[in-house]
Amino acid sequence: MSVDVTGVDRDTLVRPIRTVSTRYLAALSVALGMIGVWLFFYLQQLRHGLIVTNLADWGSGGGVPWGLYIGAFIWWVGIAHGGIILSAAVRLLGMDTYQPVARLAELLTIAALTCAGIFILIHVGRPDRLVTSVIPAWPTRVQWSPLMWDVTVITAYFVLTATYLGLTIRYDLHRLRNRLPNRLDPIYDVLLVGYSETEDAVVERMVWWIAFAIIIMAPLLLHGGVIPWLFALLPSMAGWAGGVQGPSFLSIALTSAVSGIIIVAAAFRYAYGWAELIPEAVFRGLGQWLGFFSLLFLWLQLQQVITGIFAAPTTLQHATEVKIATPLYWVAIGVVALAMLYVFAASLRPSLFSLPLLVALSVGVLAGTLIEKVLFVVEGLMHAHFDLYAGVPGAYTPSAVELSALVGTVGIVVLFFLVVSKVIPVVELHAIEDHGEVEG
Amino acid sequence: MSTDDDIDTPPDDEERHRRLLDETDYDTDLGLELARDAQRVTAGELSEAAFYRRYHDRIVEEFEMDDREIDLPDPDALAAGEGGDGGVGDGSGDAGGFLDRLGDALEGFDPDDGESRRSVMKKGAAAGALALGGLGSTGGAGPGDGTAAGAAGSGEEGDGTRWGMTINLNNCDGCLACMVACDQEHNLSRGANWMYVFAFEDENQGEETNFLPRTCQHCTDSPCTKVCPVGARHTREEDGLVLTDYDICIGCRYCEVSCPYGVNYFQWGEPDVPESEIDDDHQIDDRGRWVGSRPPEGVMGKCTFCVDRQDGQMGEEKIGTTACEEACTMDAIHFGDLNDPESPPNRHLREYRESQENDRSDYPNRKEHTVSTFQLLEERGTDPNVTFVGNAPSQDARQVDGPVTYEEMGLTDNRKEVLDQGAEAAGGETA
Ligand code: SF4
Ligand code: SF4
Repeated sequence: MSVDVTGVDRDTLVRPIRTVSTRYLAALSVALGMIGVWLFFYLQQLRHGLIVTNLADWGSGGGVPWGLYIGAFIWWVGIAHGGIILSAAVRLLGMDTYQPVARLAELLTIAALTCAGIFILIHVGRPDRLVTSVIPAWPTRVQWSPLMWDVTVITAYFVLTATYLGLTIRYDLHRLRNRLPNRLDPIYDVLLVGYSETEDAVVERMVWWIAFAIIIMAPLLLHGGVIPWLFALLPSMAGWAGGVQGPSFLSIALTSAVSGIIIVAAAFRYAYGWAELIPEAVFRGLGQWLGFFSLLFLWLQLQQVITGIFAAPTTLQHATEVKIATPLYWVAIGVVALAMLYVFAASLRPSLFSLPLLVALSVGVLAGTLIEKVLFVVEGLMHAHFDLYAGVPGAYTPSAVELSALVGTVGIVVLFFLVVSKVIPVVELHAIEDHGEVEG
Repeated sequence: MSTDDDIDTPPDDEERHRRLLDETDYDTDLGLELARDAQRVTAGELSEAAFYRRYHDRIVEEFEMDDREIDLPDPDALAAGEGGDGGVGDGSGDAGGFLDRLGDALEGFDPDDGESRRSVMKKGAAAGALALGGLGSTGGAGPGDGTAAGAAGSGEEGDGTRWGMTINLNNCDGCLACMVACDQEHNLSRGANWMYVFAFEDENQGEETNFLPRTCQHCTDSPCTKVCPVGARHTREEDGLVLTDYDICIGCRYCEVSCPYGVNYFQWGEPDVPESEIDDDHQIDDRGRWVGSRPPEGVMGKCTFCVDRQDGQMGEEKIGTTACEEACTMDAIHFGDLNDPESPPNRHLREYRESQENDRSDYPNRKEHTVSTFQLLEERGTDPNVTFVGNAPSQDARQVDGPVTYEEMGLTDNRKEVLDQGAEAAGGETA
């Protein structure tokens, strides 16, 4: 299934940069408002400490020391990693159909990684020490602490993705320069510093290799490796340890990322009348990927539930029983299953396909994966092997301060897209013009 | 690996060796025979040359060493080499005698073939360690050697101090005096029960209420120190204390989620006792690091085994004691250097065992005493430095109210409630 969008002209591509609508301003203020709400609450946390969260110490008191912040951290990292994996796959395998959304996926990666970083920052008790403690400790701790592996890998991927994006953007900016607003010239000058068309061939090779590296390392270092190892390697919690976490995390990352890309792409298509640039076929294809990844997600959940309840060791069995007795868990499973069934049905009967419905289901899937992640962290912590404490499992409901951070980070992603789309083309030139025919 | 003059391999040693060898790819019987005969060589019952001839072919077969032969040692060289204690890792092979050659062989033979060298090393390490260990001629052996020797149980009991406890559950009556003492000594915030006494009932242990005082286990293989991203949670080399550097900790709480025992208490809000009321002697250890007393806000805390006392900062006479031990009038808590056979934890265990002798006149196969001991969650591989005397709580054990409640002693059991109040008051409260 290949879609030809090469008929679309360059003016369409730069449309977001050249217009400012009232709807845009409205979206901007909503995003800023969301960030403002979070900042208001976060100031309280800065003033009074983490006591304003509903986190607590597991043990004699009961409660969980890791909660929504860590769950949301994994969720954002999952979206980011899934995003970069998908964009790398598009470049590596030459899946031209998805070329119009490749850059959106990369931008989503940058935005989501930023949010993941924010969650680490607000999770720790001493954010002021993140630099002074982490950097001197890095050389000696990196071979030990899974958290240090995470920090390292996330930073590395941030740099990698930004490089990747920077390199490919130069190509487009150079060729679209005459259509871009003069007031942003200083930015373009910086982005294009030292550019000459002779670098294109080199950049293309570099981008291919970066994409190759990302795909190869995805299961090892991204969401199939270091992130699940944060939990899977611990001897203390029954629901966390074990080899299935790697594949399971990766399936969740990909499911969330496809949902995220569907939502972002649909928003741009709607806002800028880009039906030609991002045709329905792209969404049908993305929908099928969503269905496939959802299937993997459900399959791996099934693995965990079955191995956890059938003649499992007592603590694991207990943790699993609690998990499947939690209604929210079934909400998460339910929305993912629903999305899967819908997209498979729509593949069989194309007339069933509706973009708004797909977007709605994607929102549901994102909510489902977030719920699953938070439950994984929280319920994992509530069922330790050592279960003599009467206070364990305690109760945990995220406080307003914690919930506001979710609102704030979603606001940050929206703001990011709103701002970036005013500066650079969020769909690359290659999507509408074949490599050969693109001339100044 | 220590040199051992003892010639006889006691049967249970042999059992241990067998188990050890069974775990390797290596031929167990050959390994055991080698070990036995190696000891006969040391005892002078068997000549080295005969030992060599007896096993040469089988060793070659087992270790795939088909492209180099070991020369039969020259009797003169052998005699010359006898006095020397040549390291087996030393490849010179001139006057070192046959044993050195065998050592070389077991370490991995063909220097040109990296792959087979590795696999030979792996296979040969255990057997080599056993055989050569018996001969007492091992200097610096190959890398695999140390592992095998460690696993064989030698050299574990080390030098230096290793603080630890023996807690006798049979003596504890759940009075909570230790908890109060700890709380006061370390200026803890409400509910941060570094020492926590469980009262529990266990349907497998009859009707009565049992007690279990729980400190930090100061694990030798502590997961908390492994996972700490910044090295704030660390094991103090001089004495094995597991401590938190309050100046470095970023408050990520990874140590807390990785600890299987739930002994960590984070400082979520402002501490109940302000900094100004605690003097430095309690806080700064002998290395100049801030590891003692309650943690500041945003930082992790837990039982320190009274590091200030161990460093002599509360007076010479307090070294080797803890606040909880001192407060315990029931003789349940015994703190001291586990490497010292005469320390209170070791002595108590010995004396208690002696006082609970088994009747072996009628039943000679019984063990000497009736005392059972355990460590918490031994199977998690954390190697705790706290040993309990009594029966381990089973999976069915559940915590119950004890004869003395936490509240009666002015303690807070449920820290979560304090924290919740704090959260509601948006941090106006402390905890
Ligand atoms: S009991 Fe927990 S905190 Fe203490 S050393 Fe062991 S793992 Fe670390
Ligand atoms: S809370 Fe502090 S001591 Fe514990 S793992 Fe994090 S940085 Fe280390």
